[in-house]
Amino acid sequence: MSRRVLLLLPSALILVLLLAIPYLNIVLISMRPSTPDMAYGSGFTLENYRAVLSSVRTWREIGTTLWIGGATTACAFVLGFPVAWNLARSPGKSQALRQSIVLSPLLVGIVVRSYGWTILLGNNGVMNRLARGLGLTHSIVPLMYNRLGIIIALTHVFLPFMILPIQGGLQNLDPALERAGRSLGASRRTVFLRVILPLTMPGVQSGCIMVFIMSISAYVTPVLLGGMRVKTMPMTVVDRLIDSFRWPLGAAEALVLSGIGGLVLLVFVALTSRRWNRQ
Amino acid sequence: MISRRAVGLVSGLVYTFLLAPILVVIVASFNSGAFLTFPPQGVSLRWYGAFLHNEVFIRAFLTSVEVASLATAISGGVGTMAALYTARARPKVADGVRIAMMLPMLLPEVLTAIGLLFYFYALKIGTHFGLALIAGHILLTLPFVYLNVSSALSEFDWSLNLAARSLGASPMTAFFRITVPVIKTGLVGGCIFAFIVSFDAFSTSFLLKDIGTATLPLQLFDYLRLNFTPEAAAVSSATVFITVLIIAVADRLFGLKISRF
Repeated sequence: MSRRVLLLLPSALILVLLLAIPYLNIVLISMRPSTPDMAYGSGFTLENYRAVLSSVRTWREIGTTLWIGGATTACAFVLGFPVAWNLARSPGKSQALRQSIVLSPLLVGIVVRSYGWTILLGNNGVMNRLARGLGLTHSIVPLMYNRLGIIIALTHVFLPFMILPIQGGLQNLDPALERAGRSLGASRRTVFLRVILPLTMPGVQSGCIMVFIMSISAYVTPVLLGGMRVKTMPMTVVDRLIDSFRWPLGAAEALVLSGIGGLVLLVFVALTSRRWNRQ
Repeated sequence: MISRRAVGLVSGLVYTFLLAPILVVIVASFNSGAFLTFPPQGVSLRWYGAFLHNEVFIRAFLTSVEVASLATAISGGVGTMAALYTARARPKVADGVRIAMMLPMLLPEVLTAIGLLFYFYALKIGTHFGLALIAGHILLTLPFVYLNVSSALSEFDWSLNLAARSLGASPMTAFFRITVPVIKTGLVGGCIFAFIVSFDAFSTSFLLKDIGTATLPLQLFDYLRLNFTPEAAAVSSATVFITVLIIAVADRLFGLKISRF
């Protein structure tokens, strides 16, 4: 080992001191007893986990959070795949423009984008007025302050994270493979399910994993689009930490959500790998 | 292969979907009326004027610029060093380093921020001096610099460096005259991305800000919970314009190549 290892030193310090130790510390704090006058007391207990796991409210909120995360991931995949295909397979003059449209949400803050959706989806918002103007409906269609609004906005916010890895996978895929499949008599559907999807599965998996993790831990978008009428876990956790100052309980809740989210992802990866990677 | 027309149609709808909320905010910002109405009641720059005279927003804007600049400067140096190491490391080591450097982006932002909040309180620093805030923003920005510099380095021919050395250049001279010009586009692209990510960050700033300070997204969020005037749209649009301007200028000067994955 040469002195070049020193190049890694600052990054290693940052990752250990500001990431690894704080994460271990969350685990420690989740096992501290709650005290009324301080953030947490001394000693260790599993009481917080018992309280979290035995609370019906927690389970309901975890359910809501996972439901929103799953629906967002599914929407992002359904909308993202054709776009990734379009970007990878239709190079043309507008390629650069289309690519920058896909990247544009990443360059605009999450508060601004969520705000844009509240203008579009509000009861008196653009979509509702448009629908009434066109005579499609006479009453107000509630598009936000419910799960639907949160899912629409989250899909928008995280769509680039689905499109980019799938696009990467598709660009490495030889179009001749599809032609070969077709010429051997396979239908378009079969070619998609048996050739394209299996070969782009790594991209699809990483896109889905990222979108799912980000949606179940999203905070701003659910607050602005849900208007506090839909409660997701990150809202509860943040309330605990900032408002009621009950750190051990908040830490336990955050870890339980992460653990369950991680389990869901493990099942997803296992299922998709077995289903699509079988030779 | 898959019906080209169907793909084109869906893609077109998705492109519209992606732009819609941003465009609607920009249109709303030029509204001359006192309330957010669509279509706007008239065109005016009134709300931009309100923004420029609103000290709270201006202070928050300056705080955001400060935090983003500091975090980007640190991540820029640290991330570039790590990328330089990875580029010449053995493949197995390089893979490990790459995953570790990507971790801050893969872990949920809220959880990382919670971790830092507890940690800085345990260190008895709390959120004072903005240290926790800067720490959070360094973690947010580090992967972007690392990724972009790494991808610029992947096309770099290290024998050029060797050639310079054999012609008598010191390691430092070889680095600044050969390596830096090659990785410049990656570094600039990475730093710009890092700056924008930090400037727009919410959860990290929300949990780690010092009492009494606020970054622009926090101030905007606070404002939006109670107010519905087009001023918020003007503030939002201003950040969008600044972002586009930074990218356009950098693209002119350096020829950007932003890569994210």
